[in-house]
Amino acid sequence: MRTLGRKVAWLSILTGSMLVFLNVPSASAIPAFARIHKTSCQTCHTGFPKLNPFGEAFRLLGYRMPGEMQPETKPQSLGAEAYKKMWPKAIYPSDIPAYAPLAMNIKMASVYDSSVGDAGHEVTHNDFQFPQEVNLFAGGTMGDHISFFSELTHAENSDGSSDTEIEHAQLHFNSLFGHGHWINFKIGKIAPDLEDGFQEMWLSTDNGIDTMFTFNPIGLHGGTGLSEEMAGISLPSMVKGVEMYGIGAHRFFYTVGVVNGLTPANVSSTKDFYARADYKFGGMGLDGDTTGVTLPPENWRERSLRIGVLGYHGSGKGADFPMEDENGATFNVQDRNFDRAGIYASWYYDDLNVFGVAMSGRDRLDTFTADGVLANSDSHRFTTWFLQSDYVILPPLQASLRYESLTPPRSAEVRSLRTLNASLSYFIYANVKAMVEYRRDLRESKNYSLNTILRFAF
Amino acid sequence: MKRFIPLVVFTLAAMPLLAGDIHGKVVAHGVRNSADAVVYVAAIAGKTFPAPAAHAKVDQKNMQFVPHVLAILEGTTVDFHNSDALLHNVFSPDACADRFNLGTWPQGQVKSFTFKKECFASLLCKVHPEMEGFVAVLPTPWFAVTPADGSYEIRDVPNGAYTLKVWHPTLKAAQKSVTVSGPTEANFEIAK
Repeated sequence: MRTLGRKVAWLSILTGSMLVFLNVPSASAIPAFARIHKTSCQTCHTGFPKLNPFGEAFRLLGYRMPGEMQPETKPQSLGAEAYKKMWPKAIYPSDIPAYAPLAMNIKMASVYDSSVGDAGHEVTHNDFQFPQEVNLFAGGTMGDHISFFSELTHAENSDGSSDTEIEHAQLHFNSLFGHGHWINFKIGKIAPDLEDGFQEMWLSTDNGIDTMFTFNPIGLHGGTGLSEEMAGISLPSMVKGVEMYGIGAHRFFYTVGVVNGLTPANVSSTKDFYARADYKFGGMGLDGDTTGVTLPPENWRERSLRIGVLGYHGSGKGADFPMEDENGATFNVQDRNFDRAGIYASWYYDDLNVFGVAMSGRDRLDTFTADGVLANSDSHRFTTWFLQSDYVILPPLQASLRYESLTPPRSAEVRSLRTLNASLSYFIYANVKAMVEYRRDLRESKNYSLNTILRFAF
Repeated sequence: MKRFIPLVVFTLAAMPLLAGDIHGKVVAHGVRNSADAVVYVAAIAGKTFPAPAAHAKVDQKNMQFVPHVLAILEGTTVDFHNSDALLHNVFSPDACADRFNLGTWPQGQVKSFTFKKECFASLLCKVHPEMEGFVAVLPTPWFAVTPADGSYEIRDVPNGAYTLKVWHPTLKAAQKSVTVSGPTEANFEIAK
């Protein structure tokens, strides 16, 4: 069985390698922002989707080039500039991209994974997920102060089912007061800037940071381990709400947000809150400022340190999570309130970027009997951290290595997690990426995956 | 008396030699190119210039004001044409242009307005809100509008000391002192 598993794994690698070296048709088109600004993906990405310092500035400025450069592609005016003098006797002027600012991302994955089944045997899966995921993006600016970003994702699962989800639908209001970047707002379904730099959409790896985003702390004894999906319990990867963020003195960044939490709106009207603040030493300013800084021509390189703190406070009061104890009795567990506090750091040294988060979580869990009687109320703590190194070996060849650790509450009947994730990406073109990624559970040698991924955007 | 005639002829002949050209380049940062900057000699104390009898022209063609930026001397009358097979309107929201509104008219007709004082007037069309043009109404007859490469030349400026200014529809204005004595170079960099 093991021999067969190895053969299948090698077949998977071989197939992936063939995909890498296949003559992929030339990308005749490039994604929305690249088209609007008539520039390459590499202007903003070290290798998509990971942003380089310039790309980070472009994003934080509401998809505008630092230095207020006009887009190369002239937008369609919805009112001449001089109509500002007429307001409110005329609608305030703005513009939209001259054509539909759409882009697509398609991901093919050859997935080989191994896990321990119920009987203690190794269970393997080998699946050509062609495609695994298709994303339709739209993004651009409208006038001086508004920008937008949306993403519709269709995913095909290995069991034959599929899901379609709006992952992002957001409107940004930029630099509302004066020309600085101190005060900006986002509204909609967003990846919160609380997770700027380590949420899945900004990672060079294909696997997300599960210990940070999918640990489920809700259980009869303080947690049930990793959940199948990004459950939004440990840290939510997507939120619906309003976020205020800004940049001060080119290098200070803050964000605060008010978002829907775990509890359905028809059960409770409570909201969750989050905040983050950090500072960048050296390198390009967060708004793209380069005053007094000499940067190398290779735009993924710089020498800088960004360091900060983040926190999240949420309430799951009223949201029942049904549980069953070892005797078969049923209970409902509510995460009455929970807090997350962490530190973030990102260090660039030329071709190397090392970044990580260390976070502590506290959950006040209320356990109710099936009759609705409060049976128990306890606070539980877990800690988690990760460290990832991204290295540009050559511009088309980039490597990532990540170590993740999670220590659940002592009372929880789940093991601590130690995970290693390694990937090697080869950029056939700036918009076509092939990747081999290996993930291993360091506590259980039979838990691992080896995926070969081909991803392209246009 | 006759002996003064050669002196008068010589003086008249030499007059162009007492004037110079101002030339240079405007580099506009943060916009697609360096077009549409107006470089001009600022008002000279105690000196006025008669308005030209000839009318200037702004056309509305392919739903655009052509030229996008027109520079004129104070008192100049501008004829607004409509070359499109659509109704067009021309108005200005600026007080310095008396917030004029010439109404709406069809292809082939012309309406006129006299710009009496120094002004950077925006031109708008109520029928097509995306249309925008500018009339730079200037106090001296020495001006130029830059093409995309930002170059300009102002000819026949009498020798002397002046303030040279540059105005742009979306960028901050700038100015510098120049002393004209023959060909004189003056370059500008402008930004938001």
